Amino acid sequence: MRQTARLFSLLLRAYLRDRIALFFSLVVPLMLMVIFGYLNLGDFGRVSVAIDDEARNQSSAQLLQILRAIPTLQVSELQTDAALVKLRRTELDMLVVIPSDFAVAPARPGQAVPQLVVYGDDARPQQVAVGRQIVAQVIDRLSFAVTQTAPVVAVREESVQGVRLRYVDFLVPGILGVNIMQLAVFSVAFALVADKQRGVLRRIMATPVRVANLLAAHVGTRLVIATGQLAVLLIVALVLFNVTIVGGLAPLVVVALLGTILFLTIGFALAGWAKTENQVPAIAQLITLPQFFFSGVFFSKNAAPEAIRPLTNLLPLTFLNDALREISVQGATLWDVRMQILGLLVWTVLGFILAVRLFRFEKL
Amino acid sequence: MTPIVQVIDLRKRYGEIEAVRGISFFVEPGEVFGLLGPNGAGKTTTVEILEGLRRADGGAATVAGVDVFSDPAAVKRRIGVQLQASAFPDNLTARETVRFFAACYDLYVDELALLRLVELEERAGQPQAKLSGGQRQRLSIATALVNQPQVLFLDEPTTGLDPQARRNLWELIRGIQSRGTTVFLTTHYLDEAEILCDRVAIMDEGNIVALDAPRKLIDDLLVRGFTKPVLQQKANLEDVFLDLTGHELRET
Repeated sequence: MRQTARLFSLLLRAYLRDRIALFFSLVVPLMLMVIFGYLNLGDFGRVSVAIDDEARNQSSAQLLQILRAIPTLQVSELQTDAALVKLRRTELDMLVVIPSDFAVAPARPGQAVPQLVVYGDDARPQQVAVGRQIVAQVIDRLSFAVTQTAPVVAVREESVQGVRLRYVDFLVPGILGVNIMQLAVFSVAFALVADKQRGVLRRIMATPVRVANLLAAHVGTRLVIATGQLAVLLIVALVLFNVTIVGGLAPLVVVALLGTILFLTIGFALAGWAKTENQVPAIAQLITLPQFFFSGVFFSKNAAPEAIRPLTNLLPLTFLNDALREISVQGATLWDVRMQILGLLVWTVLGFILAVRLFRFEKL
Repeated sequence: MTPIVQVIDLRKRYGEIEAVRGISFFVEPGEVFGLLGPNGAGKTTTVEILEGLRRADGGAATVAGVDVFSDPAAVKRRIGVQLQASAFPDNLTARETVRFFAACYDLYVDELALLRLVELEERAGQPQAKLSGGQRQRLSIATALVNQPQVLFLDEPTTGLDPQARRNLWELIRGIQSRGTTVFLTTHYLDEAEILCDRVAIMDEGNIVALDAPRKLIDDLLVRGFTKPVLQQKANLEDVFLDLTGHELRET
């Protein structure tokens, strides 16, 4: 224990002196979060709607006014041709064309009802569906007002997770997860393989140091860095994006550290297996890239093709992201995410066995 | 006196190559023992087996009274090593490097005293990576002394050093010997062996082909009727070099 503590303090000091590594371990995750946070790739909250008002009468003005007042919609007035061009470029979610005969008035029997034409961007079906529904509802209300009948059915809107959830709320746990993975796998693998190649590990093994103590000191160093990284990311998430961690910080940090330990064992296994530094990025990418895309970092894990979903659901990062997200977004407790934690622990045991089996102190 | 290193019929092969072919020798306590030979003769393999870093295929070896094969950890506690082609952990100062190795032995040492011994005290706070070649070799020796070893193993300690730094290191090795530590070194510089070693073993292709005091080996050769084809020079180029550039260490 004392030996581990002494080695740990020296290794940590050395790590903190490596300004470049430190810079990247903090700046890269921040960059990812800020870029994706501002890009709002999956933003649900706003649907951009262009309106081509061919009627230009009182009724159409009234409709426009109501639509503009709805916060979910981002309304602009555009000619149909121009709007269609923008739609094709996916700069717009939908286009509503108000026909020239548009009027909010009781329809006389036999007369054709004016028809609104709605164009939607097929690439963003959810936004289009939400927009369509809102427009339809507004029209219904206007009709009821005219016909003086009360709606047969009243719809009360409840804010449901998924509608109220901003993308950044969804994103932050994913960014946390992916950074835990990257830091643990890459930093350990690179550092240890470099030490192995330069003969540092061989020199250390010429002393009677206990291997377990040396590895524990390395793990401890990375845990400290990971904790710092976690803190920076959380502060940015809380301050810059007003993210609320519904389930509280403590369970989030616990799960994050469990995830760190898991990916550290994978990093050690990789470092043990790789013989040269050149092999590290290739293998590390092979391990991390599928998880990057299929474990629900930037978009829902259900974006993975159905056929491989049973597999992607078992990826280490999927367990980690699911647990972080349920705690952060839905206020889950550690007990609620026990299945994910179990998944993390199983992977940790597997990683540990691999690390011990594969670890070699020299290039052979 | 009981030998401090005993090697009997030591063997090691790597696949088809027989690196060490059944060698035997003893090292007396307190001497500087040199293992000489061309590259690939099996010197490093032999040393690394004695240091507990490699397993032998056959034979027996004890170092400081400990059986190397059955208890390599105990051997490691009793010896100090400087390896060929090894490095220190990054981003530590000279002093922290010594402390790191002390921690590896789970010992507390006076780091500055050790650095003073190898004339690096004023570099204590300097990053280890910024040291010159000669300074790094001396730091390496300081780290090898943290556990007050009974035997100090030095694997080609002066390779790559300039003449001044080599002579400086020889002084240091003599100083360590005078404190009672046995020194076991490998080298392929014969002048170094002649000046430094009490006894040398010459290794070639995995075998020891001669073992005695350097003077004795030279005398034996002369007795066999050997003469140098060219008249012995009174001085050589190295003497010229040192006369012109002095014995002072060149370190910035």
